Amino acid sequence: MRKFIGNSFLFAVFTVIVYLLLIAAYGVMPKKMYKNINYATGAYGHMFSRMSEVKQTKDVDILFLGSSHSYRGFNPQYFSGYKTFNLGSSAQTPIQTNLLLKRYLHQLNPKTIVYEVYPISLSIDGVESSSDIIANDKNDFLSAEMATKINHITTYNTLLYGFYRDMFSLNKSFMEPKKIGFDTYVPGGYVERTVSFYKPKNNSLQRAYHIQANQLKAFEENMVLIKRSGIQLILVQAPVPSTVYNSYSNNDYYDSLMNSFSVPYYNFNKLLALNDSLHFYDSSHLNQIGVKIFNEKLLEKLQ
Amino acid sequence: MLFNSVSFAIFLPIVFFLYWFVTNKNLKIQNALLLFASYFFYACWDWRFMFLLMFSTLLDFFTGLKMQDAQNLKEKKIWFWLSIIINLGFLGVFKYFNFFAASFAEAASSLGWEVSVVVIKVVLPVGISFYTFHGLSYVIDIYNQRIKAERNFVDYAVFVSFFPLLVAGPIERATHLLPQIKKERVFNYTKAVDGMRQILWGLFKKIIIADNCAEIANYIFNNSENLHGSTLVLGALFFAFQIYGDFSGYSDIALGTARLFGIELLKNFSFPYFSRDIAEFWRRWHISLSSWFKDYLYIPLGGSKGGNWMRIKNTFIIFIVSGFWHGANWTFIIWGFLNALFIMPSILLKTNRNNLNIVAMGKWLPSGKELLQMMLTFSLTVFAWIFFRAENVTHAFSYIAGIFSTSLFTVPDFSGFSGGLKAIAVAGFFVFVFLIIEWMGREEQYAIAKIGNGWSRIFRWSFYAFIVFCIGMFMQTEESPFIYFQF
Repeated sequence: MRKFIGNSFLFAVFTVIVYLLLIAAYGVMPKKMYKNINYATGAYGHMFSRMSEVKQTKDVDILFLGSSHSYRGFNPQYFSGYKTFNLGSSAQTPIQTNLLLKRYLHQLNPKTIVYEVYPISLSIDGVESSSDIIANDKNDFLSAEMATKINHITTYNTLLYGFYRDMFSLNKSFMEPKKIGFDTYVPGGYVERTVSFYKPKNNSLQRAYHIQANQLKAFEENMVLIKRSGIQLILVQAPVPSTVYNSYSNNDYYDSLMNSFSVPYYNFNKLLALNDSLHFYDSSHLNQIGVKIFNEKLLEKLQ
Repeated sequence: MLFNSVSFAIFLPIVFFLYWFVTNKNLKIQNALLLFASYFFYACWDWRFMFLLMFSTLLDFFTGLKMQDAQNLKEKKIWFWLSIIINLGFLGVFKYFNFFAASFAEAASSLGWEVSVVVIKVVLPVGISFYTFHGLSYVIDIYNQRIKAERNFVDYAVFVSFFPLLVAGPIERATHLLPQIKKERVFNYTKAVDGMRQILWGLFKKIIIADNCAEIANYIFNNSENLHGSTLVLGALFFAFQIYGDFSGYSDIALGTARLFGIELLKNFSFPYFSRDIAEFWRRWHISLSSWFKDYLYIPLGGSKGGNWMRIKNTFIIFIVSGFWHGANWTFIIWGFLNALFIMPSILLKTNRNNLNIVAMGKWLPSGKELLQMMLTFSLTVFAWIFFRAENVTHAFSYIAGIFSTSLFTVPDFSGFSGGLKAIAVAGFFVFVFLIIEWMGREEQYAIAKIGNGWSRIFRWSFYAFIVFCIGMFMQTEESPFIYFQF
């Protein structure tokens, strides 16, 4: 029995070593060969530039948080007079926001936080966004905590690979171009997209948001964390095309959920009358014309 | 609690530790621990159905004792039939009631009578078909005086509900398992290592082969009306590997787990896709069920004693009943019927026991004839699987009609498949590697039983670690239960 236990332990250690070595080999393999790793430095939405910049940024007036609606929706040019930073990332869920807050809130020391609360971000597992952060920011105990909250094999594998790359500083020489495709990175975390227009489709499909318990828990933690810091907090639901918004049957439930946190909450789908084909570039994001209208209205609310 | 879940990975070492380190001094306490662990394992699905399991166990335990102590044959028969009727009654209510009610309504409707039938809204208790068959074999064996009734309830309850086999078999026999439960177990290093190896191989089969094939097979079967015949063929092929990987993987994990506790379970699979005829396939696929039906249905019906007609009739009966055992759907009945049909030539020509040995034994490759035989047998099996997988009979026939159309000769189309060609390439590659490993290990209990035996430890362990890595890197990220849990 002693031999069995001893050998089982040794085999477990051996397997971990082999596993780590094979994960490290991901760097020299064709990227798509490994199914359950998703490590992309300079991921969609200039994440690398944003995470590089945030490390040099201190004492801001307004910190924006949230999904791609945040980093594509809050243009610093309309918040002149304020020092802003945008920590949004693609499909960012409250679990990733929690990590970013713990990592950067003290350093950024914002007077106000505008937290963009896209309902979908509370309804998804957060794997995509966790991979983004792992691949473009440093990895530490908080990253491991985030991975356990998501509890997904892709996040674990990506994190292991992230630790390996961090250990050997393999991202040190990486340079992300300021302009990638239609996107241009604007210092402060914003991504400006070349103006284009959405072609709305008839959306007769009725659906509902299914809020995940672990995301809601992380969101509540974020609320407590921000409130405890004495920072002014505003929750914002950024506009989406009305055909998309109206296809969800439980918008009122979501509004009542957000209102239950006793902080100002603005649903701009209700506050603005936007045109689907004029003010959006796809089924989820505002174009620059829409961003201007949205930001001016938000500024009114902030003042 | 699934075998391929984190909760089982925590549960198993805890039970193992308590079994060999805390309760090992006393067999009674050790068996009580196994029973408690088994009920806990079962309760993790739905604790309410645990009472059904307990009732079924108590019923067979007491009727067994009553039969044993009966003063005359009449009394013995009463207890025997009481147990049979209640056991099958539960199975009938939970598994077949709605099927019979709906079939009756449909039949009445076709005759012009509108009948409204009562439908029971209850989920099927997981493992009911398996533990009911455990109990049935036990009471039948007592009735036929093959065994004596067990007088220790805990020992009997462990026989029925031992957690590795509780929800999807193998279907054990009292003659095989009960003596092991009653005997003191001694830890055996070689067997424990073998058990761990078989668990690893079972996990590979389930997580890599079955789950990756399932993603593609599900897409194709769910969208079959819009897909080319060539794509439908691939769907049936992927399902064939899905169900084999799923069920034989489960059985490997069950056997390996039981071996960790010093208990040997009945072998359930023996490389069925390398069979040279359908009769051989059924000696290698779900062996514990096939032998159960042979011993408790085919032989009592007269077996092959009454000449060809008797053999034909009884063969059809056991295959159709076996199909129906899988589920309350006409698709399973047709699947059973088809298999009976496919086995008929060898029954009539009395060649059904021609291939009792292992194909190409001691050789690297099969002969041309063996290869053709295996391909033909596999093709027939895959064809029958279409009925097994289809939602209903109409779906199965439209699927087959889709295959035998002009689009059979077009390039398979996966443009609507969310997994993309990468998922198909991954599944295809692993099936290919899997077949090679299975072929290499076909003379053993399971494919990797002897692979690496002559290697140094570091290479052998590297091979196992690589399997673990493949699981971590290519597993499906959604938890997927075993197919046979629904039966």
